[in-house]
Amino acid sequence: MVNTKESIESFIDNMPEDYKNEYKRYKRVMNILTREPEPEVGQTPKEVIWTKNKAKLYRYQPNKQKTKKVPILMIYALINKPYILDLTPGSSLIEYLTDRGHDVYLLDWGIPGHEDRHMKFDDYVMDYIPRAIKKVLKKSEQDEISLLGYCIGGTLTSIAAALHPNLPIRNLVFMTSPFDFSDAGLFSNWLDERYFNLDLMVDTLGNIPAETIDFGNKLLKPITNYFGPYVALANRADDDEFVKNWSLLQKWVEDGVPFPGEAYRQWIREFYQQNKLINDELYIRGQQVKLSNIKANVLNIAANRDHIAIPKQTEKLMDKISSKDKTYELVSAGHVSVTVGKKAPTTTYPLIEEWLAKRSN
Amino acid sequence: MTNPSMLDPFSLWKTMYEQTETNFSEAIHETLGKEEYAELLGQVQNGFLQYQDLIQKTTDTYLKQMNIPTREEISSVASLIINLEEKVESLDEKLDDADLNQKTLQEISKLKTSITRLDKKMNQILQALSTNKDQESPSTEPEKTTTEKPTPKK
Repeated sequence: MVNTKESIESFIDNMPEDYKNEYKRYKRVMNILTREPEPEVGQTPKEVIWTKNKAKLYRYQPNKQKTKKVPILMIYALINKPYILDLTPGSSLIEYLTDRGHDVYLLDWGIPGHEDRHMKFDDYVMDYIPRAIKKVLKKSEQDEISLLGYCIGGTLTSIAAALHPNLPIRNLVFMTSPFDFSDAGLFSNWLDERYFNLDLMVDTLGNIPAETIDFGNKLLKPITNYFGPYVALANRADDDEFVKNWSLLQKWVEDGVPFPGEAYRQWIREFYQQNKLINDELYIRGQQVKLSNIKANVLNIAANRDHIAIPKQTEKLMDKISSKDKTYELVSAGHVSVTVGKKAPTTTYPLIEEWLAKRSN
Repeated sequence: MTNPSMLDPFSLWKTMYEQTETNFSEAIHETLGKEEYAELLGQVQNGFLQYQDLIQKTTDTYLKQMNIPTREEISSVASLIINLEEKVESLDEKLDDADLNQKTLQEISKLKTSITRLDKKMNQILQALSTNKDQESPSTEPEKTTTEKPTPKK
């Protein structure tokens, strides 16, 4: 075996320089795909201040001086892992905000087990979010809070804010969160109730596997999503910085969690198929959700290349809420690159930080 | 970026990808947006779910025969623990509220004390004012009597 390997190496050594380089690149690509460990993520120091079932509430950089009064609670999508907002030093919204004196908290949903397949939006909105808000207020010893919701997390946040007008929410930041499902792009076609057997899917699978959700998202742009990353890797495998970012981004995209069954049934039926939220027809534990109940300051961010939460799904919120101070921003990014990658620290992060800083004292 | 060489399998792949992406992307998008595609996707989904159901039922039957707990049975034990944790959580919430109430009560009590003090001070001020008035009153009284008009007898 060793002899074979040595003879291959010596054969390569005797080849012309161009071929040698191509072989090295090929070897590097194979190593990245098969041997190299996964990149380290979620490195900003944090402490757990509350747990409930699989969920955890983190406070980031607790020992760092907090110069901004109003704490921020981040709520991300049910299908991701908590590090998506804290990917790596230099590409972490959480690090960016805590470094600038904000008191940042994040509600980690955890990984649902089979026993959590009955979890609904009702549970997250009525039991988890309000309780987490109270815990944050107690820990930070403040009277008001800012909420930042990303993707489905933003939709959940809007429902929670609409249903709990008594909660002291001063600011709301939504990042690529869908609210209007009247035209959800290709999803509207694929999830057509005449063909998509939602009940059979939930009843058979219980929780919906992360791979199924990922398949749906990737199918929006199949060539770009299935082949694009590998072509890019092969092309730039000798660029270490590129490889590092590539590995991080792949981890972000591939490393999902299952969607709790009942929540998925609700998400597809009541949002994608029946578009209840924007039309004030959604009921959570018998209470009507009226987005017009939202009076907090709102920053609503959409990304122009987002195929998952397309801008027209996000901007409709602005017409429904009663907030006097409301801003809609369309940034040049995709659904993922709005939070991570090279551009986010110079575009999205300062946008959020500056907006919040003005409203956090 | 690496310069293209004579023997570069990746450059061929890259060219193929770029050509496909440019030329077929729109056509693929159009196909994916057709109702027929949604129908096909639904049929594939049904087939997949029927297969999954068969696998699950077969596995459950086997596990029961072997006297090994099924996923359903293990998750029901987990549910019992979650329910128990829920009760602890509810107690924790009540304690938090009680703590908040306690703080509110303390604040009210402090407010009462300061109002009582303020009340005492007000009394002292009123007392001082009336004492002052008493001291001033003997000099003013005769003047009053002189200015008073005699009541006419009817």
